[in-house]
Amino acid sequence: MTEYEAVIGLETHIQLNTQSKIFCSCKADSWNDPPNTNICPVCTGLPGVLPVTNRVVVEKAALLAAAMHAEIQPVSFFDRKNYFYPDLPKGYQISQYDRPLARGGYLDVPLPDGTTRQVTIEKLHIEEDAGKTKNDNGRRLIDFNRCGVPLIEMVTGPDLRSADEAAQYLIRLRQLLRWLGVSEADMEKAHLRCDANVSIRMVGADYLNPKTEIKNVNSIVAVKEAVQTEIERQIREVEAGKRIEAWTLEWDEDAGVLRKMRSKETEADYRYFREPDLLPIHISEAWLAHILQELPELPLERRARFISQYGLPEYDADILTGERSLSDYFEAAVALYPSDPKRVSNWLLNDLMRMLNESGKLASELRLTPDYLVEIIRLVDAGTVNTTTGKSLLDKVEASGKRPGEIVNAEGLAQVSDTGAIRQAAQQIVSANPEQVQSYRKGKTTLIGWFVGQLMRETRGKADPQLARSILEELLSE
Amino acid sequence: MELCDLSAEQIASLVHKREVSAREVLEATLNRVSLVDGRPGQLGIEETTPDDEKYVHAFISLTAERARVQADEVDRRLAGGEDPGPLAGVPFTVKDIFVVRGTPSTAGSRILANFVAPYTATPVERMEQAGGIMLGKVNLDEFTYGSSNESSAFIPTPRNPWNPAYVPGGSSGGSTAAVAAGEGALSLGTDTAGSIRQPAAFCGVVGMKPTYGRVSRYGLIAFGSSLDCPGPVARTVKDATLMLSVIAGRDPHDQTSVTVPVPDYASRLEAGVKGLRIGLSPDYFRITFVDPHTGELIERPIDPEVLAATRRAADVLASLGAEIIEDVPMPHTHYGIPAYFVISRVEAASNLHRYDGVKYGYRTPEYVTDLRDLYRKTRGQGFGLQPKLRILMGMYVSAAQYSEQYYVRALRVRSLIRRDFETIFDPSGAYRLDALLTPTTPTTAFTMQEVYGDSVLMQYADELTVPANHAGVPGISLPAGLDRKGLPIGIQFLGADYAEATLLQIGFAYEQATLGEDWRKRKPQVVERLAV
Ligand SMILES: [Zn+2]
Repeated sequence: MTEYEAVIGLETHIQLNTQSKIFCSCKADSWNDPPNTNICPVCTGLPGVLPVTNRVVVEKAALLAAAMHAEIQPVSFFDRKNYFYPDLPKGYQISQYDRPLARGGYLDVPLPDGTTRQVTIEKLHIEEDAGKTKNDNGRRLIDFNRCGVPLIEMVTGPDLRSADEAAQYLIRLRQLLRWLGVSEADMEKAHLRCDANVSIRMVGADYLNPKTEIKNVNSIVAVKEAVQTEIERQIREVEAGKRIEAWTLEWDEDAGVLRKMRSKETEADYRYFREPDLLPIHISEAWLAHILQELPELPLERRARFISQYGLPEYDADILTGERSLSDYFEAAVALYPSDPKRVSNWLLNDLMRMLNESGKLASELRLTPDYLVEIIRLVDAGTVNTTTGKSLLDKVEASGKRPGEIVNAEGLAQVSDTGAIRQAAQQIVSANPEQVQSYRKGKTTLIGWFVGQLMRETRGKADPQLARSILEELLSE
Repeated sequence: MELCDLSAEQIASLVHKREVSAREVLEATLNRVSLVDGRPGQLGIEETTPDDEKYVHAFISLTAERARVQADEVDRRLAGGEDPGPLAGVPFTVKDIFVVRGTPSTAGSRILANFVAPYTATPVERMEQAGGIMLGKVNLDEFTYGSSNESSAFIPTPRNPWNPAYVPGGSSGGSTAAVAAGEGALSLGTDTAGSIRQPAAFCGVVGMKPTYGRVSRYGLIAFGSSLDCPGPVARTVKDATLMLSVIAGRDPHDQTSVTVPVPDYASRLEAGVKGLRIGLSPDYFRITFVDPHTGELIERPIDPEVLAATRRAADVLASLGAEIIEDVPMPHTHYGIPAYFVISRVEAASNLHRYDGVKYGYRTPEYVTDLRDLYRKTRGQGFGLQPKLRILMGMYVSAAQYSEQYYVRALRVRSLIRRDFETIFDPSGAYRLDALLTPTTPTTAFTMQEVYGDSVLMQYADELTVPANHAGVPGISLPAGLDRKGLPIGIQFLGADYAEATLLQIGFAYEQATLGEDWRKRKPQVVERLAV
């Protein structure tokens, strides 16, 4: 049987998380806002209006370009892409064509098998979004809220080789976008949109076969499923001796099937020309330097450093660098507790992550600062509190915002290691529960756990559990 | 002399001193409108009547009540000791290509006939904030596409106040006709290829196209976005200076408006021309055009009376101490129209995309089968002939397969034209000119319907004005006499980037030196008639 490989390129549209739109001062994010509430003469294309470039859009785009290792152009131009559609109020989209903001670039995507796929970037430019059209009982309704929302269009080379790789690329891209703080990158909210170009060929071949384009996929899972479905379809077609035609397909998520969209009769001529209403984007060296000050260590670099510098397992490093503020939190904690980074990682992975998931907060938003976390770990290390109390302190600190030590003192949570006090409590329990004592002495020694539990309850968890157990065993064996 | 015939400067001065009220000036002007303008341009009129042929028809919408409120406000502020600004009580009109909040903003087109703008164009706003009183919106060629004002969908179209059988020129013909007839001392026009200067020449008024970016385009319904310049129309150089001072300057709504500081134009007005170097170019003394049938280049000298007026102006300036430099080469002048033909149409076709019947303006009342049908019928019915021609040509020359051959080439020609100007104005070059003196137009006004319909020939009315739009440099047209038919002749001064002050200074010197000439005492026919 013939071996096939898939050749996949992804075309992404990334919604930047600026306050205002790209060419006017309307609010950019209209999620949850009623239709046509964040609009003005400029973004609805009234006669006579002119666009004015939002500098923050250029800065965020340049930051992304730098993170993609693309070459930022000192001069780039806006162009008009002309076409008619009701949700495009000017009848042209302001985009960039032959002189985009950045050229080249790549993203290294680590794959689950430990290898890395370098995905090249063919195109990275700034453009404005169009509005939304929806059909309502034979009427066509238009919401202009999204008109003029800043987008980056980023197109990869045909470098991905499986549906899984396509998903991995998007996961890493989403991570990077959030890491840089340039986009919320939420596919469900269309902050990150993806079209996939898919073709297949014999393994080892270096030519490209006709491709199909899959549109309307709005989650990473959907991209993976849609691409996989299309790869399988193409293999079936080729095996059956048929040719692959350059269709545009639409993914029906509910039915899990691809549907053919109306074929484009001919490639549309957008009659691109320079936007005369806008000046070229000049990025001076000084401005670029200012922008790049904001360029952080990138997630994959940090992941590698966590492994080499702190000796973390790959699993820990991957999770800790999944999100920027968590990784910053980790580093801040390790700086205060340099002796055992893995111990810090365990606290983060086991307990802090739970708190973050439950609260929906970012690590940086916790009242339980790295400083407080380390104080708790040290209280446990010193035997001042036991591990259980230590873990319960996490929530208490978060709830109150107080120092862990302060809470321990105020609530008298310090561990009781005083043999006399524990013995006294143990004797009370033994005399108060003659039935259980009898059962124990008749051989049901598993009851020791019950006795320890009683004692811990009596001492409100402060007793050193090891000590409690040995004293109880001693009293019960008498 | 009636209040409406006073200059803007005189009106503002009298109003400031409270010798007359803004309201009195306004009422005198409205009275003049009622006497000379006839019925306003409107949709649905197929034929004009013989009676229409006696009137100017500058207006599309006269907003008298709005103006009265503004005039009373100016008077109230003056009574309260406030200064309403340098245009206090000065009535002005606005070419109906600018949007003004709450007024119809039609562009002279059926497709925008019902459009009422929710915001005001920056230059209009600045004039109103300076105390100016907007009388209303005046007619123009549809979307400014023309040089005679005959292409407006709003009929009757404007006529030349000097002789209503003649066109006022265009596309700011409503503006220049209104100013010439005393219907407002000032008007805000636009110039894309000569659309202020050419009708100013035809109507015997002062018209200035400032440097590209000197005046904000925000609120100007776009034609050729890289060429369009708002500018003043006035009866005197001083008034043009006054108006330019108000409308010039950086606008945060227009990224192409420049940050170059606006000089005090008035302070240099009376500095004279002694020592200034003023050039004459033979390339501006002829027109060259393509024979539409054979494709051959045909060269014709300009009208001898126009040429004579230009030479006479050079003599006047020489007598005032200017140095006249003859034979200045401007070798790419005759490519101006073909390059303009391509560039302006590519931009225009794109700029017209937004008129689709979806959001505002005209929508076909007929049944439509689908979206394409809606577009096709709306645009087919809403646009007149001139927009349609520009869309067709614009789509053609910007199509992927032709763009290199036409559009890209036209852009190269444009930079050559720009280089012509850079060469002559270069302060360390061979010519070191302060200004180039040229005729504004190859002929004086033509009669109604004489040229209309021949869109190629119509373009050549702009051959001497369009190079400044390509190059972005400023130009001013001044009245320089009347021809034997009694029609005004215009001369033009072109300058380097931001040399408006120099052009105004030269214009003022010329105007003052010729104040006593006989032709200056003549009035436009429609005004003369009132005295009888
Ligand atoms: Zn807006």
